[in-house]
Amino acid sequence: MPADLLVADRLTRAFGDRVAVRDLSLSVAAGEIVALLGPNGAGKTTTMRMLAGLILANAGTITIDRVRVSESTANNARRAIGLLTETPGLWERLTVRANLLTYARLQNLDEPQQQVNRVLEQVDLADRASELAGKLSKGLKQRAALARALIHQPPVLLLDEPTSGLDPASARHVRDLIAGLRDQGRAILVSTHNLAEAETLADRIAVLKTELLAFDSPAALRNRGEGIEVMIEFEDGSRQGFTVTELSHVPEIVTRLVNEGRRITRVTPDRRSLEDVYLSLVGTDA
Amino acid sequence: MSPGWGRITALARKDAAELLRNPGAIVPPLLMALGALFPGFLVIIGAPMFAGRTLEESGDFNEAVDVIATMPELVGLTGNALIQAFLFHQFALLLLMVPVVSATALATHAVIGEKQSKALEPLLATPISTVELLAAKALTPFLFALALTWGTAALYILGSLLLGEPGVWQTALGPRTFVLFVMVGPLIELATLLVSVVVSSRANDPRSAQQLTSLLILPITAVFIAQLMGAFVIPVAALLLAALGLLIMNALLLVIGVRVFQRETILTRWR
Repeated sequence: MPADLLVADRLTRAFGDRVAVRDLSLSVAAGEIVALLGPNGAGKTTTMRMLAGLILANAGTITIDRVRVSESTANNARRAIGLLTETPGLWERLTVRANLLTYARLQNLDEPQQQVNRVLEQVDLADRASELAGKLSKGLKQRAALARALIHQPPVLLLDEPTSGLDPASARHVRDLIAGLRDQGRAILVSTHNLAEAETLADRIAVLKTELLAFDSPAALRNRGEGIEVMIEFEDGSRQGFTVTELSHVPEIVTRLVNEGRRITRVTPDRRSLEDVYLSLVGTDA
Repeated sequence: MSPGWGRITALARKDAAELLRNPGAIVPPLLMALGALFPGFLVIIGAPMFAGRTLEESGDFNEAVDVIATMPELVGLTGNALIQAFLFHQFALLLLMVPVVSATALATHAVIGEKQSKALEPLLATPISTVELLAAKALTPFLFALALTWGTAALYILGSLLLGEPGVWQTALGPRTFVLFVMVGPLIELATLLVSVVVSSRANDPRSAQQLTSLLILPITAVFIAQLMGAFVIPVAALLLAALGLLIMNALLLVIGVRVFQRETILTRWR
């Protein structure tokens, strides 16, 4: 069982009278991607900022790479975290290389030039290193920002809307990069609005609306609540619906029907989409 | 190099590289330097040249000559050289506008540039402390403005050597000039920087921040005009007192600056 590299325990944060995040607990293990889903204003950015050590929680604890984060340890915790912000936030008058080199120096890395070369190769940007960051396409800027988050090889990555506003090809490229980072054993928390992306990329999904509404694998989330609808079609053209709690129960139903002399032509599990589950959790007005 | 100093210089080097590629930040200080240099030479060298008679011959300074001849820096000078030296000392005060305008232009761009490019959040996610961030944001504008101020002062003295009467330029090498450009100038610059940083945290574009910070020019202008009207030059003791006042002001501004540069304040209150 891989170790949890990021653990949030009962985090609460308020701004004045407004509670942005209440009693949030989640964890991300090494080699795992967790997607943080929630409507606008659900507290995703506040959560990311608390986890990145940028703002303090009013209550609760955060443990990064086995070190509990406090005001005095926040600087060290930040060394273990790579943060990709929603907007790339590059210094646009400087080249990609100069951007990354500054961050390598801010992280006090040995041989910063070599670290920059390594990370440029990693995100497939080596041939664009001499270009001004401001001249890059949005997709390339996002890859440069990802390189910046990876420059110090952090075990934990916090990615805020990593594919937001990207064209499908660029989004795919970024998703592939993120999946590759999971394979390297990093713990990755991805904040996203994109349900399909969360479903394909994440090992677990946390649904947040100030409070944590659900935290489970995509398959388990889809199967929540009313179970799985199964539609069975017969040779005479008639159809019959069944509800099962697990797909493994379907063969039993089929066997029973065949034994009753029914001739079955098709069995279709009517899975609830993640969108259905998400909307039922956060409400359709979200 | 300590890790903290390494982070400060890394960010300051980045700021320097960005400023050099930003004419909007660089041009105003250069224009201010030129603007502060020329009035003195225009009045002391240009006007008599066009009028065809020296300042002494104009008779405008007859009443002042007896008083200014007793000024320690000007002892030994007589006639036209005495009046030129006196005026060079008066116009030297204008050069203090160079650090104010330079520090304002550069610091507002250094801070607001980060806000506009939304580069602050990833920057704050590094191990840089907020005091290091404040120091880094002030370092490049400080060094650039100081270099420009001292460069302008050197040109001013060089100009008085090349264009002034013999002996005039040496009077600029006394304690008054030293206090003006080595103590008061950098302290005014630091105060301007800190005010610029604090104002920039609440402004969204460099120009609106600069308009507010430029109010710091008013006291300098007021003293300059008072000098001209009263035909006096601020004594060294008064400049030392001003330096002390600026030192206290900087200490207070530093406390405010450090409070403004808290991570949480930057992320949640800077607009």
